[in-house]
Amino acid sequence: MMNMNRLIVSRTFRIGQRLLGCHARHAGQEELRLQQRRSIKTHCRHLAYAKDLFLGQVNKAEVFPYPEIGNDEVEEIKQLVAPVEKFFSDDVDSAKIDREATIPLETLQGLKDLGLFGIMIPEEYGGLGLSHTIYARLNEIIALDGSIAVTLAAHQAIGLKGILIAGNEAQKKKYLPKLASGEHIAAFCLTEPGSGSDAASIQTRATLSEDGKHYLINGSKIWISNGGMADIMTVFARTEVEVDGVKKDKISAFIVERAFGGIASGKPEDKLGIRGSNTCELSFDNVPVPVENVIGEIGGGFKIAMNILNSGRFSMGSSCAGMIKKLIELTSEYAATRKQFNKSLSEFGMIQEKFAMMALNAFVMESMAYLTAGMMDRPGVPDCSLEAAMVKVFSSEGGWICVSEALQVLGGLGYTKNYPFERFVRDCRILPIFEGTNEILRMYIALTGMQYAGKILTGKIKEMKKGNIGLAIGMVSKKLRTSLGASVDLGLTGKDGVVHPSMEDSAKKLEQNVSLFGSTVESLLYRYGKTIVDEQLVLKRVADVLIHMYAMTAVLSRASRSISIGLRNHDHEVLLANTFCNDAFFKNNYWMVQLQKHSPENNDANIKKIAKQVLENRAYICSHPLERTY
Amino acid sequence: MKGSRCLHQLKSLRLLSHAGRLLPAAAGDNGALFRLHSSSLLGGSQCPQREVLRHFHSSPACTKSQPARFVQEEDKTRDKSLVAHDDLFEQVAKETKTKATFNKVIDVYTKRDIRRRGHVEFIYAALKKMPEFGVEKDLTVYNKLLDVFPKEVFVPQNFIQRMFNHYPRQQECGVQLLEQMESYGIMPNIETKVLLVQIFGEKTHPMRKYQRIMYWFPRFMHANPFPIPKQLPEDPVDLARFSLTRMANDWDAKVTVYQLPCTDITDSGAEVTLPHIVGIQSPSQMEALAKHNPCRPVFVEGPFPLWMRKTCVYYYVLRADPAPPEEKIEEPYDPERCLMYPLQLDLDLDRDLGDDESFDVEDLDEGPVFAMCMTSQGDQATLNQWISGLQQSNPILGQIPTLFRLGAGPRELQGVGDTDSTSGTWFPSHVHKEEADPGEDAEAVVEEEPRRSQGVKQ
Repeated sequence: MMNMNRLIVSRTFRIGQRLLGCHARHAGQEELRLQQRRSIKTHCRHLAYAKDLFLGQVNKAEVFPYPEIGNDEVEEIKQLVAPVEKFFSDDVDSAKIDREATIPLETLQGLKDLGLFGIMIPEEYGGLGLSHTIYARLNEIIALDGSIAVTLAAHQAIGLKGILIAGNEAQKKKYLPKLASGEHIAAFCLTEPGSGSDAASIQTRATLSEDGKHYLINGSKIWISNGGMADIMTVFARTEVEVDGVKKDKISAFIVERAFGGIASGKPEDKLGIRGSNTCELSFDNVPVPVENVIGEIGGGFKIAMNILNSGRFSMGSSCAGMIKKLIELTSEYAATRKQFNKSLSEFGMIQEKFAMMALNAFVMESMAYLTAGMMDRPGVPDCSLEAAMVKVFSSEGGWICVSEALQVLGGLGYTKNYPFERFVRDCRILPIFEGTNEILRMYIALTGMQYAGKILTGKIKEMKKGNIGLAIGMVSKKLRTSLGASVDLGLTGKDGVVHPSMEDSAKKLEQNVSLFGSTVESLLYRYGKTIVDEQLVLKRVADVLIHMYAMTAVLSRASRSISIGLRNHDHEVLLANTFCNDAFFKNNYWMVQLQKHSPENNDANIKKIAKQVLENRAYICSHPLERTY
Repeated sequence: MKGSRCLHQLKSLRLLSHAGRLLPAAAGDNGALFRLHSSSLLGGSQCPQREVLRHFHSSPACTKSQPARFVQEEDKTRDKSLVAHDDLFEQVAKETKTKATFNKVIDVYTKRDIRRRGHVEFIYAALKKMPEFGVEKDLTVYNKLLDVFPKEVFVPQNFIQRMFNHYPRQQECGVQLLEQMESYGIMPNIETKVLLVQIFGEKTHPMRKYQRIMYWFPRFMHANPFPIPKQLPEDPVDLARFSLTRMANDWDAKVTVYQLPCTDITDSGAEVTLPHIVGIQSPSQMEALAKHNPCRPVFVEGPFPLWMRKTCVYYYVLRADPAPPEEKIEEPYDPERCLMYPLQLDLDLDRDLGDDESFDVEDLDEGPVFAMCMTSQGDQATLNQWISGLQQSNPILGQIPTLFRLGAGPRELQGVGDTDSTSGTWFPSHVHKEEADPGEDAEAVVEEEPRRSQGVKQ
């Protein structure tokens, strides 16, 4: 609690400062409207860094300087991390967990003793009451074993999150202490055989009993992490609710104890990776749930599910980074000692490239994860779901590439079970799939931003469509100016700059990208309007550009801080940041050029056609090259 | 121009007489030809003569202007030469008409005379008889027939021969053979090519024909995205299964056999034949049917014909009228539908015209089709059986009034009295097989045939 208070104080102070600065800066300027909007935003703490990128603006106050934690928190981390690290290196046998597809009870007990089952549960309920930032830090270590990481994440990132964010005091008092100690394990039951992200097809139903004291839950849920061992479950079920006199089916969330009876768990799934984690089917047969176990209000389950899912994702960045850092250690030793042609592997360019790539990825993920965690730790109820989704997409895909490249360094050895790499590869494969597949998250990222930008730009676009000459000339001249090479200045560098001068070029690149992105979004809205929902290939590129711009921001912010306060090896960070920005700049430009083209030019039309023909036949339809007609 | 044409004519005349010398059997005809040519040349009229040489490059106008008297003249001569070969086939045909006997006839002919006298006539006669013997789609038979031609005799030896129509009659016969193959969709193989090279040489008309066939046939071989197998299933149930699947064109559609055809003898001794009933329905059709307003009737309609190659089958559909506009309520957008991302944007912007790639299609709502079936007996009782079978998987059918709107359909084609028979031969009345086998192309060939032989005969 102390930490929290301190954070709030320091944050508000900082915000106040910023506000003052803001006013002072804008005093001379005529743009009253803009100023008003900004200051209002700062007040309400509506975090909108990523959303503002859609308007071609860099809301630098949100992401610069890079979030810091106080000294006592650093101490706290030191105290926490050391035993956890020791536990994971000494007492966790990942190979055995993977082989036997179960986490031994001693290991689970060890985790409980370390308090890892209640990292984010407030101290008053018996948890550690740690911030998102420290949770992310701990996850770096926990991620060294995929099975444990998933078990813990299913328990606290989604399983008990419902009680934590939407439960009432009584529910919290009743359930959280035992969950925090690990005496009870939680699970999150949403997915059904016929329902992934589609809430409308949830079939599990909760009906009020005749005495009105219980809900009876019937139905089945699949792929429930911890399903076999969970004692407390957050179950989502359809309930009948009366809205304006009309009876409607709405989703509600319930806290269900296994002790209520009527719950049967199926055989654990035999999975590719994260084999030690328990995933199984759960079926509910007339499970009586007392009415006081409804989370939030009846019919309000949809929002709760969405919030839980949205808040659980940010930690994947640090998990992946932790994993990659470990992989670099493991592989670099091999690369340095293995000799071929009287040279060690580390002298070969292609091997070097792999290490550079791993370091870059780890650096970017780490930067994004802690930037987002820092944002989430700010007082108020910051909505960082967009940022969190971006971290998840970037790190899950980067993680997959890094893990397979690390395996590649070892060649055939990496492919055997003698080394942990194949296990990492298998474990890592789940990352782009769970907690919202990357495809769906890309849709979320792009559409949320499009909705935000659309609201603001609708008036302008309508004017343009009507043929407002003044606006059109303004647009054309702006385009001309940028095409003639006029630099874009969004205030990252220069007099009030926030980026260190050693990364000025990279900051300029980001600014260019942001400005071009703003006009691209505008033209997309002009072209597609609300039908953009159906343009998934367009949205994918929009999401990718945004993810890379957010990543650029994160590395610039982090490296600027490091260089300013003189962290060890900050020159290496600058190097990494510049390299990444350079690379991302070109990728972004390519994607945005594609976005400005029409579907026949950017291959989208062809891609759709190919897929259509293949899917119509449900097969690869080309004749075999060895076939002949005569 | 005129001079060169005269030269051309003179040369071809010489070639023709040359041919006449080589082939005594045709000498008489050629003599007549020669006479005709001389007269036409002298008279300065070119038309009849060009008609003779027309074989490959002639304007249709010339064809039409062919005088009638030639036909009569040539009819007589043809009778004389062809009857012999026809007889040969007729004699054999008295026993059985099979591939073996057909081959035997060819063997008999080739062995009878080392000089292969009248082989052109023989080949024409054979071509005509092929469908009768059921070998019109057999490549080996065509090759065997081509083998009747003497080898190397007709191969042009020098550039002049090569330039003009060397042995036009034989070449034309070769082309005719290839054309018949073409019209039956038989693709020549390498053996055909070797034979053609041996008989006519490279760059001759039959060779060109061969090359053209080989150019187009492979290209068109897979032009149909819905290929029909050469051999359709014989069993009516299998045939129905095949044709229903083909019509539904839906991978998820499930074929159900509601009743297998069988014949029972009741206690009273009467023979009762149960027709086959095969139906198809896809999950999306089931879904549509489940959503159908039970107040509005559904219709069983049919029979509708479906042609597959030479076979015609009849099917019935279960359909409804298109729902009136007031019943079509679009599902309202539920913002609490997708857990992950907004399914719709709350924007007041439409797609720009420049990016609107949809076509303006007049959308005519024909009403949904819920299921299809095929049966060998299209009366209401049988179809009712189908509907009650459907009802097991579509319980809503019990509440919807079902109307039968059945046409006479296949009975009209078959004539009266068929439907009452109890002989268990329901199948033919519904699966109508066309006996006259050659398709349009083939018929056209048959029509053309006399004209071609006319040209040759002269």
